[in-house]
Amino acid sequence: MTTYHLRVNGREHAVDTDPDTPLLYVLRNDLQLNGAKFGCGLGQCGACAVTLGGEAVMSCLVPVSVVGERPVGTVEGLGNAQAPGALQQAFIAEQAAQCGYCIAGMMMRAQSLLANNPTPTDAEIRRHMMPNLCRCGTHMRILRAVRRAADALHGKGAKA
Amino acid sequence: MDPANHPPQPRRHARRRWIVPALLLLVLVLAAFVIMWRPAIAPQQAAPGFDPATIERGQRLAAVGTCAACHTVDPSRPFAGGLALATPFGTVYSTNITPDVRTGIGGWTEAAFTRALREGVSRDGHLLYPAFPYDHYTRLAQDDIRAMYAYFMTRPALDAPAPENDMTFPFGFRPLVAFWNILYLKKEPWRPDPAKGVEWNRGAYLSEALAHCTACHTPRTKLGGTDFKRHLDGGVAEGWYVPALNAKSPSPVPWTREHLAEYLRTGIAPDHAVAGGPMQSVVENLRLADPRDVDAIATYIHGYLAQAPVRQTRAAVPGSLPAPAAGDPDLARMRIGYDAYVTACARCHEVGREATSGAALPLQKAVALYDPDPRSLIHIVRDGIAPPDGEPARWMPAFGAILTDDQTAALTAYLRRYGAGQPQWEQIEDKVKKAKQP
Repeated sequence: MTTYHLRVNGREHAVDTDPDTPLLYVLRNDLQLNGAKFGCGLGQCGACAVTLGGEAVMSCLVPVSVVGERPVGTVEGLGNAQAPGALQQAFIAEQAAQCGYCIAGMMMRAQSLLANNPTPTDAEIRRHMMPNLCRCGTHMRILRAVRRAADALHGKGAKA
Repeated sequence: MDPANHPPQPRRHARRRWIVPALLLLVLVLAAFVIMWRPAIAPQQAAPGFDPATIERGQRLAAVGTCAACHTVDPSRPFAGGLALATPFGTVYSTNITPDVRTGIGGWTEAAFTRALREGVSRDGHLLYPAFPYDHYTRLAQDDIRAMYAYFMTRPALDAPAPENDMTFPFGFRPLVAFWNILYLKKEPWRPDPAKGVEWNRGAYLSEALAHCTACHTPRTKLGGTDFKRHLDGGVAEGWYVPALNAKSPSPVPWTREHLAEYLRTGIAPDHAVAGGPMQSVVENLRLADPRDVDAIATYIHGYLAQAPVRQTRAAVPGSLPAPAAGDPDLARMRIGYDAYVTACARCHEVGREATSGAALPLQKAVALYDPDPRSLIHIVRDGIAPPDGEPARWMPAFGAILTDDQTAALTAYLRRYGAGQPQWEQIEDKVKKAKQP
């Protein structure tokens, strides 16, 4: 057991755990942040996506020991039911969730795109969202929601 | 005397002095023009009919030629082109080779198609860049060219103009390629080696002329020509190190012909190697080829791989990779690398290896650890291995965003020293940074 100091959604946490514990388990079991979901456990589905140093990662593949000082972002950091963030509002407006299991990961992957590229083209959104899967098939609504969030944050029609 | 009719002497001399250089220049310009100029071949109104057997043969040959690797970007629009290929001379885009008349090769006769493959000249007479491997295709049998022509002329026509190339000065001037052709285009027919068997000769023809293995597996000269003096010595493709396939093969486990054939057909040589990077699209194509042709390629290439001396390597040592030795001169970095290995890699590659780990190798067996430089290993760690849809066994996640650059560099250095037990690579940090550039 080692003590790791993690910065999650802007708050510092100290966690005692084994070095190879996946970040996903630390978030869910130690920090009670249950937004990121366990899907495949193999880094193939994206349900567990969070941001690490601003980039989207599959948190089931991230050993807690490699996190270091890089900030971690989860869906809880985007807003809450009373005050949803721009991405969450857009996903609600487009009714992009069906069963909802993939949505936290979808929003965090989208978040990493909008943080690095505020005015993505539709093609860039598609390419960026590709690693995350949705078994219900709401991909078209998810793409619309990301488009809507980008437009809401940075003005409509910034790029064709 | 009227001075107007008799200009002063000195000027007449000046004129004479210019005549010889001017004539020389004219001759040079004419010679350059003759070297560089190719006529257009008149477009055809409609393609002739083809018999199904020829079309099918063409399809299998086009798979060996891995045409789709460059000419198909979007699988739903086969052969529509548009792939950006970064070369030292600029970025070249692959073209549309569907039978669309305006943007593809619909107006091309068999003669025009043949000239493109044999001489690198487009139907309208402009010279093609040698990113298109006509220096290999030039030796194809006419019968095979005809079959591939039949195949491409019967694909769905797609409207897809090629994006504008972005060449560095002066390479945007296409006629310059004519001088490259003088150096590197050897327009001679294929000749079998009578001392070798039928399968070896078939493999030699396919590997050298059609599959153009040497285009990536042989180093290139400063002018971008294949350096045949260093045949199969290893090269570069899309930022990856392309392994040598001769006595210099980095593979820690000797290749058998059977392993190689299986690798070429499936992308996996069990317990030996997994295709990644640019080799993936080669494998994807080869599985559509005639299996006997793939076997022939394996026979030919293995003839060279068999020259590699049998070496004592860590690949033969089973078990876990060790922790860094206490006296390691690079201990701090090695510990970071070891930590990343144990927590991130070992889960599939070592102690945690299970059915879902697919073809994950114990890393002391991974060929990339034995390469002369770390580029391929860094690419695999950063980008993972993402095979085409529907093929799960060759998959590895990308660790580019999971590990920091320092951790990736330390992991690379650790694997080189404690996985392969080879002399340390140089400038690993630089190469990690370079691998991030798109």
